[in-house]
Amino acid sequence: MDHQATNVLLVEDNPGDADLVRLRLVEGQADVRVNCVSRLSDGLAFLARETPTLVLLDLNLPDSHGAETFRRLMEHSPNVPVVVLSGQDDEVLAMKAVHHGVQDYLVKGNISSKNLERAIRYAVERQALLRALEISQKQQLDFKNRFLSHVSHELRTPLTCIHQYVTLLLDGLAGPIAPEQSDHLKTVLKSVNQLHAMIRDLLEATRAESGKLRVEPRCIALGELVQQTIAMLRPTADEKKVGLEIGLDQRLPLVLADPDRVLEVLINLVDNAIKFTPTEGSVMVQANMVEADPGFVYISVSDTGRGISPEAKALIFERLYQDPDSIDNNRSGLGLGLFICREIVRLHEGRIWVSSEPGQGSTFSFTLPVYSLGKLLAPVITHENRLRTSLVLVRVDLTPLSNPPRGNWKETWQQCLEIVQRCVYLDKDLVLPPMGASGAAETFFIVAATDLQRSGIMTTRIREQLERVSDLKTKCKLTITTVPVELPSGHGDATLEQQGENVASSITRMILTTRERSQPGPGKRAKDSN
Amino acid sequence: MPKPKILVVDDDPDLVRALRLRLRANNYEVSTASDGYAAIASAQKDRPSLIILDLGLPVGDGFVVLDRLQSSDVLSGIPVIVLSARDPQANEQRALRAGAAAFFQKPADNDELMNVIRVSLGPETAQPRAAWPS
Repeated sequence: MDHQATNVLLVEDNPGDADLVRLRLVEGQADVRVNCVSRLSDGLAFLARETPTLVLLDLNLPDSHGAETFRRLMEHSPNVPVVVLSGQDDEVLAMKAVHHGVQDYLVKGNISSKNLERAIRYAVERQALLRALEISQKQQLDFKNRFLSHVSHELRTPLTCIHQYVTLLLDGLAGPIAPEQSDHLKTVLKSVNQLHAMIRDLLEATRAESGKLRVEPRCIALGELVQQTIAMLRPTADEKKVGLEIGLDQRLPLVLADPDRVLEVLINLVDNAIKFTPTEGSVMVQANMVEADPGFVYISVSDTGRGISPEAKALIFERLYQDPDSIDNNRSGLGLGLFICREIVRLHEGRIWVSSEPGQGSTFSFTLPVYSLGKLLAPVITHENRLRTSLVLVRVDLTPLSNPPRGNWKETWQQCLEIVQRCVYLDKDLVLPPMGASGAAETFFIVAATDLQRSGIMTTRIREQLERVSDLKTKCKLTITTVPVELPSGHGDATLEQQGENVASSITRMILTTRERSQPGPGKRAKDSN
Repeated sequence: MPKPKILVVDDDPDLVRALRLRLRANNYEVSTASDGYAAIASAQKDRPSLIILDLGLPVGDGFVVLDRLQSSDVLSGIPVIVLSARDPQANEQRALRAGAAAFFQKPADNDELMNVIRVSLGPETAQPRAAWPS
């Protein structure tokens, strides 16, 4: 053992056992300090103050039993090595603890100073190795991600140059070109666009892997996104003579999702479907509700391609997956598109899957959560089995003073949303998810369980906090308005639940009537030039 | 009517040459600068109607240029379109807040870029700044 004193935290509630272990510890090692506590909570409190060399842990304590004991301790201090003290009839549980990551176990009654010393020494060594491995893995991942984002940035510079000169020639800005030359240049441009898409996917996949892919859910109409996708990919489908159809349920509810991200998923799936559908085939995008699963909207993209084998089905959403039978293998991309789709859908708490029979085409489906104002509002409207006595609807408008002609303020609005969320009481007020696509201006609605007079405190706080956002003050106009929500006075026959629903729908009406400001179209995704 | 003058700031001479060709074909007069310092100097001397600005530049990067333009009474009214290979997730919002009128990631769609140039040169960008309501 090293020269440092061994500092042991002993968590043991039986005084006899504790004394015995302490004795064995002192026998075996001259330089050992033992801190003994009898409850898990005291152990955790100790760990919050100091970092011992090791924890000796009895699993059955007055305030925690069995597996829960090591789980809680390891969750609290994952980097401190733990050796479990087990009863003679408890070795199964002790093994379970080892599988969960404790370093070793000792059976009480068989503890000698020698095997105790040995257990401690190896536990400390193994924990240190594990930690070093973890750190090195993290460093490697960091390095890989930094490398990839650097590379994708550096690749863009020469790509931009190729793109500019090819389009110069194609547009006839450097003199007239012959039809055959134009054809060749179009082929170059197509490859440039493919390369561009791959660079974009590379960066997205890197983000997904390192947990940096974010979704900012809003209340949106899915139909618009489907229409937008179809409009963008219509030329590609026409060129290949593939039909492109939409089948939307007319009564589709609004969904709670990030419009830019959902558009990304739709474009990816439809683009793939066109790619794998032969000429004269067709691609169909559908969205509907499924009775058994009312909390989600089901979206599917079906093609009449050659289908996917069962083996491929299992792997198709994995990163870097390439279809081994692809006829067009050199043009199938990096194999990141579906991986990115899966990560985006997962961040929305939806599901994504594929069903297919070889030769019969494939259907890729995913789900997105329905936006339910009633469900969101229920905890604000009712409290302890009663309707709140007063509710206020607060509207916060942010309007840029000069409209940026392009580019969106998504990040700024997200930052503002987070600020507004910090200005309300979590248990009494609710900041509603923003509505529609993120545009040049933004509106937030807050339903607050308070009266008009006291809501002034909240609006002052919001104004003060938003004004602190750098540059926002000079770039944006901020308006905050408050309206009381009318609540049913008499009890009548309505149940609390019905009353709550009535209030929720009257709030919905208030929002819809107050939200007459016209919003510009959804943030447009940079389109590949053709 | 005189042609609107556009200042292109980028340290890649090949790209600058291509952009100049395209902008001239669209009936703009073009001046160029290849670093941050030259960009400010050129803006002060020539008073362009619009600036196309790269972010990664020698001698004062794009954000320094944006900052200098914004803090100058005579130059802050010139619309700036950022054209950069950098990640929009980390740079678009920052550029817009620093005063840019638009952000394009390279390679940008030509039609879209020309469109935004046209819109930015229009009367709507000449709005004076209003004060924050109290």
